[in-house]
Amino acid sequence: MTRHYEVVYIFDSALDEAAVNERLARFHTLLPGTTPNVNHWGKRTLAYALKRHETGYYVVTQFEAEPTALPEFERAVKLEEGVLRHLTVQLEGEMPAPIPAEAAPVAAVAEEDDE
Amino acid sequence: MIMRSRNKTCPVCEAGVRVLDYKDERALGRFLTDRGKILPSRLSGMCARHQRQLATAIKRARQLCLLPYIKGYGA
Repeated sequence: MTRHYEVVYIFDSALDEAAVNERLARFHTLLPGTTPNVNHWGKRTLAYALKRHETGYYVVTQFEAEPTALPEFERAVKLEEGVLRHLTVQLEGEMPAPIPAEAAPVAAVAEEDDE
Repeated sequence: MIMRSRNKTCPVCEAGVRVLDYKDERALGRFLTDRGKILPSRLSGMCARHQRQLATAIKRARQLCLLPYIKGYGA
């Protein structure tokens, strides 16, 4: 039986989009037979310093997977140094409404992240 | 906004939302005190179901650095 999951990653903001995509592709090979729905929020200011980082690169993914595939996937995410933090949530019942376009980067785009 | 203590209707039900989204930190931010604590339902006016969802959503948002654990601390 497959379940709906949602994973939010906070990547190190020093990584560029290509590096982030490369890591995501690597994680997703551990979830065979799924086509994750990936949504890049981009760089945002963190509400508090996380491992001495003030900004993070947010990515939200949703997918349907076998629960048995999850531990292996989570282990890979945990071991990846580029991921500052991640949260895996099981989506129950209806899917939450997609993030409205205005909610995404507006509050985010930090003043001092010129790479 | 905070002190509408005699408001009997749940602001989330009124907005027609069934499930609170932990990723929408601006909506959740309305239900925090100025120190970042979760507003009690007595003050937020929420129904029990949404107050439970709110607590979970805020705690998830805190884990994801979307909301602070303590507002105005170390900032």
